[in-house]
Amino acid sequence: MRTLWLELYKIRHKRLFLMLTILLSIELAWGFMAVSTSMAKNPDATTWSAILVTITAMNGLFLPTGSAVIVSRICDMEHKGRTWKLLLAASVSRKAVYAAKFVSAAVLIGGAVILQGLVIVAFGIGYGLAEPVPIGLLLRFVAGTTLTNLVVIALQQWISLAIKNQAFSLCLGMIGGFIGMTASLFPPQVGRLFIWSYYVDFSPVTYQYVNETMLFTTREIGVHLPIIVVLMGISFYLVGSIHVSRQDV
Amino acid sequence: MNTVIRTENLSKRYGVVYSVQRVNLAVGEGEVYGFLGPNGAGKSTTLKMLLGLVKPSEGSVSVFGKDFSRNRLEILSQTGSLIEAPSYYGHLTGLENMRVMQRLRDVPDKHVEKALQIVRLEKQKNKKVDQYSLGMKQRLGIAMALLHFPKLVILDEPTNGLDPAGIGEIRELIQSLPHEYGMTVLLSSHLLSEIEQVATSIGIIHGGKLLFQGSMEQLQRNSQPHVWMKTQDNEKARRVLQEMELSPSLQDGFLVMEGMGDREVAQTNRALIMAGIDVYRIEEHKKSLESIFLSLTGKEGSL
Repeated sequence: MRTLWLELYKIRHKRLFLMLTILLSIELAWGFMAVSTSMAKNPDATTWSAILVTITAMNGLFLPTGSAVIVSRICDMEHKGRTWKLLLAASVSRKAVYAAKFVSAAVLIGGAVILQGLVIVAFGIGYGLAEPVPIGLLLRFVAGTTLTNLVVIALQQWISLAIKNQAFSLCLGMIGGFIGMTASLFPPQVGRLFIWSYYVDFSPVTYQYVNETMLFTTREIGVHLPIIVVLMGISFYLVGSIHVSRQDV
Repeated sequence: MNTVIRTENLSKRYGVVYSVQRVNLAVGEGEVYGFLGPNGAGKSTTLKMLLGLVKPSEGSVSVFGKDFSRNRLEILSQTGSLIEAPSYYGHLTGLENMRVMQRLRDVPDKHVEKALQIVRLEKQKNKKVDQYSLGMKQRLGIAMALLHFPKLVILDEPTNGLDPAGIGEIRELIQSLPHEYGMTVLLSSHLLSEIEQVATSIGIIHGGKLLFQGSMEQLQRNSQPHVWMKTQDNEKARRVLQEMELSPSLQDGFLVMEGMGDREVAQTNRALIMAGIDVYRIEEHKKSLESIFLSLTGKEGSL
């Protein structure tokens, strides 16, 4: 708890949540504009599902990039200030710092995703959607996005702490954003090799074109996919933590 | 005197190259121990091994009479350090940086105020550290090292980046730590002048090997003074001295001999006069610490 408190204290003045909120606001503004345009053309097809599908696809682009930036900012302060030796000489364990950074990033990004869910609800209600708020779908949307985010954070944190030059981790985030955005174009077997494609894979709603009309259907994710993703996350986290702990300072 | 730090055959090898080789340090309680060596001699690596930041390839470290590897947490809780460049969070203020350390060290607020006061940073404590000069960052690093008023302070090149006035202040501060706060100080530097003025004991490292360890007086005693003689005919005088089994060298018009006591000097002088060679001048040249250091580390050593 002491290390977590310290981590949260250390990220003050960095305005990370504000940065994330602005990034997600841009995403939501873009997403809602697209949904609004579609609604104007075809008011009958406007549903909560349309909103969720649009925002999920856009999360594939924005969240890997946003996560890379946030994690990089949290990790880079140790490189910039050469503070590892300060921490280690004060008998702080690197694994504890690693865990605290992971939790801090997860709380920040998780908070932003929950906020995103609330904004979606506000938008739907404000737009006067006839259907009631699909709480189950929204919870599954938030859970799937958060689970994918946790794995992305674990991967980004490993790279950000192991390699001092943050250009590497930021590039990885951008590549992740590209893969996340285009995930639905890959064959499923290929897409599932990349963690960033799971933003879309975990979407509780999917769509297909029938006679040039977009049809939305809800789907069950099952347990296998989340288990695979959890295992990926644990692997990235453990390998990263062990690797970083063994590096010379 | 109790020994605070003792290392036995401490070595660090990177691949096949030893950066530190069989170093046996002994730092006594209440000392200001100057760890001197040119750049790249192995000072920082040795200090990092003392703090557990680098794992030794061979040898052992004991601090406060306890094996470091088995008592790491206890030893580090009584040790303050500043290794290489100062460590800090640039986006936080000086005071916030101290608060981070306060939380880690679990010390009261008054320690923060006192440590800032010791390094004279009270007026700049609310400024972001990114806006500090290098000297101020160095002072902050020292304040962080002193925050919990440890028994042992390890400072690696603490005057780097300081102006002459700042160097003087830090020197006074280091000298005051043993008697004012009962601390033992291990101070490394590549500047002989810096060590010479504050250290009570000295260790000289070069190429990863400890070449000398002892008091300043011992260091000077170990180096025999040279006797310089100027005569009417140095060549002839040299032959006379060689017959006496002396081996003078010729330097700048002088005959130079090592290891001569008063009696030998008088005998030499008498022998030259008896041989009909006038002696114009006899001088004793003591080696400066600088030349002792250079003779130990080689001319390429940085001073």
